[in-house]
Amino acid sequence: MLLKLTFASLYVRLLTISMTVFAISLSLMLYLSVEKLRTSAYTSFTDTISQTDLILGSRTSSIQLLLYSVFRVGNATNNITWESYEEIINKDEVEWSVPISLGDSHKGFRVMGTNLDFFKRYKYRGGQLIEISEGNYFDDLYDVVIGAAVAEKLKYNIGKSIIVSHGIKSFTDHDDQPFKVSGILEKTGTPIDNTVIVSLEAIEAIHVDWSSGAKIPGQETPIEEIRNMDLSAKNITAAFIGVKSKLTIFKLQRWINEYPEEALTSILPGVALHELWRIIGIVENLLLGISIVVIFTTLIGMAAIIFSSLNERRREMAIWRAMGASPNVVIGILMLEAFIISFLSTLLSSILLYILLNILQPWIDDTYGILINIELLSFKDLLIFILFIISAMFVSLIPAIRAYWFSINDGMTIKI
Amino acid sequence: MKFILTILIFFNFSITKVYAEETRQVDKHEHGLGELNIATEGDVIEFEFMIPGADIVGFEYVAKSDADIAGIKKALQTFENYENIFTLPTNSRCQLTEKQVALKEDEDDHDEHEEHDDHDEHEEHDDHDEHEEHDDHDEHDDHDEHEGHDEHAEENHNEFYAKYSFECGDTKAINKVEFPYFSTFPNSGELEVQFISSIGSVSFEVEAEEPSINIDGKI
Repeated sequence: MLLKLTFASLYVRLLTISMTVFAISLSLMLYLSVEKLRTSAYTSFTDTISQTDLILGSRTSSIQLLLYSVFRVGNATNNITWESYEEIINKDEVEWSVPISLGDSHKGFRVMGTNLDFFKRYKYRGGQLIEISEGNYFDDLYDVVIGAAVAEKLKYNIGKSIIVSHGIKSFTDHDDQPFKVSGILEKTGTPIDNTVIVSLEAIEAIHVDWSSGAKIPGQETPIEEIRNMDLSAKNITAAFIGVKSKLTIFKLQRWINEYPEEALTSILPGVALHELWRIIGIVENLLLGISIVVIFTTLIGMAAIIFSSLNERRREMAIWRAMGASPNVVIGILMLEAFIISFLSTLLSSILLYILLNILQPWIDDTYGILINIELLSFKDLLIFILFIISAMFVSLIPAIRAYWFSINDGMTIKI
Repeated sequence: MKFILTILIFFNFSITKVYAEETRQVDKHEHGLGELNIATEGDVIEFEFMIPGADIVGFEYVAKSDADIAGIKKALQTFENYENIFTLPTNSRCQLTEKQVALKEDEDDHDEHEEHDDHDEHEEHDDHDEHEEHDDHDEHDDHDEHEGHDEHAEENHNEFYAKYSFECGDTKAINKVEFPYFSTFPNSGELEVQFISSIGSVSFEVEAEEPSINIDGKI
C-alpha cells in the first residue's frame, strides 16, 4: 500500500524525479568508469611482461629502463656493449636471455632488433607466448615481422616492402635497404602490437654506411656485399633475462649493478612496474577522489530536490495524515522515495556504463593500448552501490524530519 | 697567474688519475633506507636485509669507544634471532635452515684509503694539498681525523647484512610478513622490499606506521 502510494507520488513528479535519477546515474557511472579504467590499466600494464626475471640496460632509472625496453616509451641513454652482455649471460645463474636493439622506426612505429629467441622467451599475460597469425618469423636478413596494430593501421600484408627510418622521428630513411614483411603477429594487447621486429643483424646492416648518427655521403655498400659482412651485433639496447633459480636473482642483480667494466642496471620488471604505479597512483587517487565528490554532490542535490518538493506536497501529506498515517509513516515514505531513486540510479548507471564501455573499448585499446575487460560488476562495485543507497536514505532523513515537523504542526489543515 | 698555474697543474694531475683508474663508481648509501630482498622458490623462502649502520646503531664510523663496540655487538646479536626482525605466519611451518649476519664495512673505501694515491679522486679538490702533507696516512682511522669532516658517515659507511633461509611446510600460507624490525631499532627508517616468486616480482615500501607486507596470492 505504502509502496504503491510512493510510486504513484513519484509518478506524478516524473520529470523532476527522472532528471534526478539521471544526474545521480551519471555521477555513479563516472565513478564506476574511473574505477574500471584504473584496474584495467593496471592489469594491462602488468600483463605486458611475464616470466622475465630481469631486464638489463645501461645505467639509468629502473622506471626508464622498463618504459623503453618493454613499453617503447622514451629512449635509452646508452647502449650496452656486446662484450658485457656476453659476460653477463655466461654467468651460472642465467638460464636464458634475449637481447633487443632499439632506436629506429617505421612510420611512427618503433623498430626493434632481436633474435628468434624473443618469440620463444618473451611472454605476456600470465605466460602467453607471442604467436604469429600470418606468414613466418624472419628468416632472411631483410625480413621483418610486424605487430597486429602495425599491419592493421598501415594495411600491410605479407610480402609488402617497407623502408625503415633512422631514429625515432627523422627524415632520413634507410631507403637503400628495403625490408619485406615476412610475418604478422597475433594481437596481444601489449606494445608488441605496435612494434616492427627485425633481426639484430638487420640493425647492423642498415647502419653499415652510417657513422656517428649520419649517413656517410656518397658511400653506399651494395646489398650483396653487406650480406657477406660480419653483421654480429656490437651493442644492444637492453636484454631480457631469465634465471635458473629465483633464489639467485638478487645476487645476479647486485653483480650486474656493480659490474665494474660498464655502468649497467638490472631491474625486476614487477618491482619497477610497482614503482611506476606508485607515481601514477597519485593521479589515479585524484580521479577517484573527484568522482567520489561528484557522487556526494548529487546526493546532496537529491536531498535538495526532495526538500524543495516538500512545500508543494504539504497538501499530499495532510491527506496521508487524514487517512490515518502517523508522522513516522511520513518519514518512511520519504526514505522509501530516496531508496527508489537511488536504486533506480544504480541500475541506470550500470546500463550506461556498459553502453559507454562498449563504445569506447576499441578506441581506448587502439589509442592507449589498455584493454578493458567488459565483465559483470565486481563485488566491490556492488558494495559501493549498497553504501550509496544507504547514504542516500540517510541524506533523505533531513527533509524527512522536516516533513515530520510539518505534518505534526499542520495536521490536516495547512497554514501557509 | 700563479692561481691559474696551480689549477692547470692540478687539473693535469687529476686527468692522469682518471686514466689510471678504470671505472669509478660508488654504491648508493642512503640513511633511513634499508633494503630487503625476498625470494621464494619451491619450499624455500629467503630474506636478505641490507641496512645502513646509522639505522641500526645510529653511527657508521668505526666503533672505538666501548659503548659503540657494545652497541654493534648487541645489534648483531639482535639480528641473530630473526624474530626480532620479521615474523612469518605460523601455519606456513617455516624452519630456519641457514642464516648469515654480518657488519659490512664499505670495502671500496677502505682499499682506496689505504692506497694513498687513489684517494684524491673522490675528494674535494681543495683538500688535495692537505693530503700531500700527510704522509702517515695509511691507517684508515687516522685518515678521518685528517679530513676534519664533521660527517664521519659521509666518509665511512657500513651496513648490516643479514640473510635468512627457511624451509617451509607451505610457502603459500605466507600471506603476510610482519616487521618487528621497526620497534626493535628505533632509528630505522623505511624498508624497500623487492619480492620475487614464480608468479612474478613486486615491490613494497614498508614504514614503521604499518610494519607489514601483504603477499597473499603472490607465492
